[in-house]
Amino acid sequence: MLTDTGPVAKLYLSIIDDVIDSVRELFLDEGVEDRVLDDLRHLWESKVMQSKAMEGLRKNTNPSNFVLQLPASYTQTDQELTASVVIPGNQNIRSFPVKNNSETLATFSLPAGLAYPVQIPAGVTLQTASGQLYKVNVPVVVTQAPVGQQPATQAMQKVTEWREASAPQPPAIPPNPIPPHEVETSSVPAQSVTQPKTILPSSQEGSLPLQSTEPDFPQEENEPNPQPNLSTTASPCTQLLDFQIRREEALAQMAQSRDIDDILKEVIEEEREKAERAKKLAPVESDSQSEATLGLDLDYSYSQFSDIVQLDGPAGNSDLEEEEEVPLEENDFLGIINAEAMKALQEGNESSDGNSISTSSDGEGADELANIEEEDPLNSGDDVIEQDIPDLFDTDNVIVCQYDKIHRSKNRWKFHLKDGVMCYGGRDYVFSKAVGEAEW
Amino acid sequence: MAYQLYRNTTLGNSLQESLDELIQTQQITPQLALQVLLQFDKAINTALANRVRNRVNFRGSLNTYRFCDNVWTFVLNDVEFREVTELVKVDKVKIVACDGKKVQLLPTLTFDNKIHR
Repeated sequence: MLTDTGPVAKLYLSIIDDVIDSVRELFLDEGVEDRVLDDLRHLWESKVMQSKAMEGLRKNTNPSNFVLQLPASYTQTDQELTASVVIPGNQNIRSFPVKNNSETLATFSLPAGLAYPVQIPAGVTLQTASGQLYKVNVPVVVTQAPVGQQPATQAMQKVTEWREASAPQPPAIPPNPIPPHEVETSSVPAQSVTQPKTILPSSQEGSLPLQSTEPDFPQEENEPNPQPNLSTTASPCTQLLDFQIRREEALAQMAQSRDIDDILKEVIEEEREKAERAKKLAPVESDSQSEATLGLDLDYSYSQFSDIVQLDGPAGNSDLEEEEEVPLEENDFLGIINAEAMKALQEGNESSDGNSISTSSDGEGADELANIEEEDPLNSGDDVIEQDIPDLFDTDNVIVCQYDKIHRSKNRWKFHLKDGVMCYGGRDYVFSKAVGEAEW
Repeated sequence: MAYQLYRNTTLGNSLQESLDELIQTQQITPQLALQVLLQFDKAINTALANRVRNRVNFRGSLNTYRFCDNVWTFVLNDVEFREVTELVKVDKVKIVACDGKKVQLLPTLTFDNKIHR
């Protein structure tokens, strides 16, 4: 049963062992310290562990496995929880064995590699393997975000109240009578009710409830959180994973208690600053070029710096430039197009008009090109497919193997494969033999 | 020389990333990293041949096929992978398969070796 991540993990670890042992001599021959070899091993293992493909191993060995304990009344909605779960930072996430006890508790553990978002209805009490209990008062959607990034803002209308049990409760005790003990590690709990808005870096939010039990996590990340993180009902537990520790710095640097609105504002401000810097540093013409490279055309100052001339009529020089000092952006772009067209004609024509245009537009040629480059971002909205292609490749499910025999009959293909490593659905599998059929 | 095919797996990619990090910090030389990768090729080929014993069936529709340099590349859609224990369905999967017959000498240098062979 090599689709179980456990055996696959063992195989991977054994391969790692083999490789490390066999290169030990190589390292020594090169005069490289053993410490470097250990570093390599740790890096390699941590990367493999972090990948979702190794979920099973973590489940078995990590004591801080995140376990959801639900009241018996919740059993009906078990299926909902199997929806994709996104835990930031690609943490090792356990598989989700859903056990419906005849007693009052149903136990989940967040599966590794679950697709997020996960909906956790109200009334759910989440418990980490370490015993910390979190009661979800309001239905919550847990979305996955890469480490350090903002969680998705989708459907974040709900507020999650996190309450930390003062003491670990034995699993047999129903979650209802557990007295909620609020840990004021930050302003989150107090504000969780008053501020229904959410979206915080899940890592920050996640570390909040764990501060009392996980001193490793710095409080500084939590202090600037003015708002509750709705999207990370499950994240606190996942934060326990080593990944959190490694990414602390990245997270601290990343958005800290920022709304998406704030982030957008910051981005806009950055662009403005860049534009201003560009303006200061370069003359007018190159300004437009540098602005062009910025990509974002946030204000109309662009028109003030560009010498774009709208050449609808006869070739104009300074007159047109002055007239077009304060045109709308649309006219600018039209001017760009026209100027470019005229420029192309100029190369073919040696007319006086063309010459006059060329003289005035040579200096502007760079501007025009720059303007057109700026124009492209506006038109790039038409080409959404191109941006999706890299994403498609990233999520490609891949099988790497050897073939024994490939057979085709008309449009029916038969595959006989061997010794393969498969990665699909976010998990890794291996096989010694695979047989398949497909129609083309 | 074993197939370098398996470098584009989770295991192989994480190894390459780790080696790149060590090269960045100049803890190892690129030549040493290459040696490690070659060793990895051998180890994983051996492990897959000897330590893995299971069988998978799959069925789907073939979107594209390519056979170049004795390497088959397929893209299948709506595939079901069936093992004894479980069934997994995926929308799209890419299969890259090298020749499973006895590994030829230096498959990556076939072009250079045509005289020697």
